[in-house]
Amino acid sequence: MIQYLLDTIWLVPCYALLGGLIALLWSPGVNRVTGPRPAGYANLVMTFTSFIHSALALTGTWNHPPQEIFIPWLSTAGLNISIDIEVTSVNVAAMTVLCGLNFLAQIYAIGYMEMDWGWGRFFSLLGLFEGGLCCLALSNSLFCSYVVLEILTLGTYLLVGLWFSQPLVVTGARDAFLTKRIGDLILLMGVLGIYPLAQTWNYTDLAQWAQTANVNPTIISLVCLALIAGPMGKCAQFPLHLWLDEAMEGPVPSTILRNSVVVASGAWVLIELQPVFSLSPFVSGAIVAIGSVTAIGASLIAIAQIDVKRCQSYSVSAYMGLIFIAVGTQQDEAALLLVLSHALSAALLVMSTGGIVWNSITQDVTQLGGLWSRRPISGLAFIVGALGLIGFPPLGSFWALLKLADALWTTNPLLVGVIIFVNALTAFSLTREFGLIWGGKAKQMSERSPEVFWPMVLPMVILAGFVLHLPLILESFSLLPSWAVLNKDVALLLIWSSIFGVSIGGVIYLGDFIPKPVKLPLQPLQNLLAYDFYTPKLYRASIVLGVDLISKLTDIVDRFVVDGIVNLFGLISLGGGEGLKYSNSGQTQFYALTILLGVSLLGAFVTWQFWGDEFMNLMSASVSLLPQ
Amino acid sequence: MQLQYFLILAAALFCIGIFGLITSRNAVRVLMSIELLLNAVNLNLMAFSNYLDPAEIKGQVFTVFVITVAAAEAAVGLAIVLAIYRNRDTVDMEQFNLLKW
Repeated sequence: MIQYLLDTIWLVPCYALLGGLIALLWSPGVNRVTGPRPAGYANLVMTFTSFIHSALALTGTWNHPPQEIFIPWLSTAGLNISIDIEVTSVNVAAMTVLCGLNFLAQIYAIGYMEMDWGWGRFFSLLGLFEGGLCCLALSNSLFCSYVVLEILTLGTYLLVGLWFSQPLVVTGARDAFLTKRIGDLILLMGVLGIYPLAQTWNYTDLAQWAQTANVNPTIISLVCLALIAGPMGKCAQFPLHLWLDEAMEGPVPSTILRNSVVVASGAWVLIELQPVFSLSPFVSGAIVAIGSVTAIGASLIAIAQIDVKRCQSYSVSAYMGLIFIAVGTQQDEAALLLVLSHALSAALLVMSTGGIVWNSITQDVTQLGGLWSRRPISGLAFIVGALGLIGFPPLGSFWALLKLADALWTTNPLLVGVIIFVNALTAFSLTREFGLIWGGKAKQMSERSPEVFWPMVLPMVILAGFVLHLPLILESFSLLPSWAVLNKDVALLLIWSSIFGVSIGGVIYLGDFIPKPVKLPLQPLQNLLAYDFYTPKLYRASIVLGVDLISKLTDIVDRFVVDGIVNLFGLISLGGGEGLKYSNSGQTQFYALTILLGVSLLGAFVTWQFWGDEFMNLMSASVSLLPQ
Repeated sequence: MQLQYFLILAAALFCIGIFGLITSRNAVRVLMSIELLLNAVNLNLMAFSNYLDPAEIKGQVFTVFVITVAAAEAAVGLAIVLAIYRNRDTVDMEQFNLLKW
């Protein structure tokens, strides 16, 4: 039974895609009778099926060698593209997490999207995302991963643009598509560039090739730089990070998935490609640099946001930056562990605050407050999520961060500093969110705020349970480092940084000592962080401006030069006809003159040989006779 | 007396006729210029006949035909001028420019 499920593991993405297709049957244009709800239920059933399938299959992968499946796709002269699937416990576990999170997010969506008619579209896109992410988790080929990444980019465009009657949604979806698309396109350059070098797109073969590869360092650096551009866009790393901020215009249930798993799809590809990146020390350095800058910058920005969804989206960018650091320093396992713990915690955080937004309307944290006594479940879920995200033993991210920091402790203490700093900043920012939403006195918008109903609370509580149990699960699979070989200094530093961040946040935002809203002594700095380093202006002043100017110039060239030259020929012919018709003067004598001229010229031409030379001599003689 | 002088005289007469043909405003004068042209041609024919073909004098026969045809042509030409004059009350060549662009 388990073996059968393992052999048919490729069905898991198919269930989700099928669910997505079925959901379309309840689009308002197709089915005008039942209303949209069956779309959600059908999708939920399919997602549950895929969750059960992958969870059962997961038990079969344990202590089994990796199993590879090749499905031929396209075969032309000199190129065979097959869909490579690798069934390892990591891949199947990733799928289980994906399906589980999707299942919970879909239950949540059934509650959250209560008053919405667009279930058909929404759930079909969720199905597309689940299917795509499962494909990505299974895929063992860079080419297939690229295909899925592009489909997911299109999916993001459609999902962010769900409520397309809102102007900010339209611009947000546009930016999300274009930004990720640029990353994906540069990734395509890398994908195409690595084939002549390695002759394969299979991750396993690539890793083998990378062990003994002897290539020009410049070439491999350029190829690898192109390969990180895709994950950079996907993971919302600097400078391709603005889209995640604007993608927060989409509905909350999709935000749950985006913050937890969709952005991790880039990190997944990055982790798979890590052996290739290790070929070039320069690229590893670049990955670490991008990750560090993003981690610090985004966690600083997250502190200065007043929109709760944006506070969290920047924390996501920061944690993806930590994953970049992990990949750049060849810490695959720490990166995977961080992806897992971050996915669960980030999803829980969005679920908790999404419930607040659902019936307190505003997303502005400065207008919320005093919800602890009335929203204890959401508050507890937020606390669990926050503690699961920062380095707080014994919850998940502590072990991931510890593993990462421990490995870097001797080789690169500066990066440990970055990790600790980001951890403290994230702890501070999450405490700030908690203090502003749940602490303090109730404000007008949160005056009457009942706890949300069960479809939103249930997944939140289940997920909180998972976050709490994650260390136990990891322990049982012996994935946790043993306490004996641990670097206690790093562990203490991490814990202290968390405590430090939380307590400062608590003092500022839960205490009454500092007037709210908090003003930094340096107002420009506060604005700089609140407007995320003025990234939209930077985009508009650099890339957008450049492309805009060039396209306008091209348009002018097209309109006036290319078109003009062709039209000029027409105009000349027209003008020629219009001008030359005046040679038909209507004067008979003029016609006689032209006939005479024609005859004389023709005659002169024909008889030139008999008298021409003599005539010319005569002319030159007469010219020389002229008075000088 | 040589052949060339006759030919040059005929050519001069032809040129005068051309000048008259192209510059005259009176339609009758145009016809008269055409007569000049034909007479220049006749002079040529007679000269060639006299100097080059004194035995068979084919040029003189040609000249007789040309004179005959010229008379017929002048008659038809004058008839045309009259026909136009009846309609338009003028023989000014510059008034006959209806068939232009």
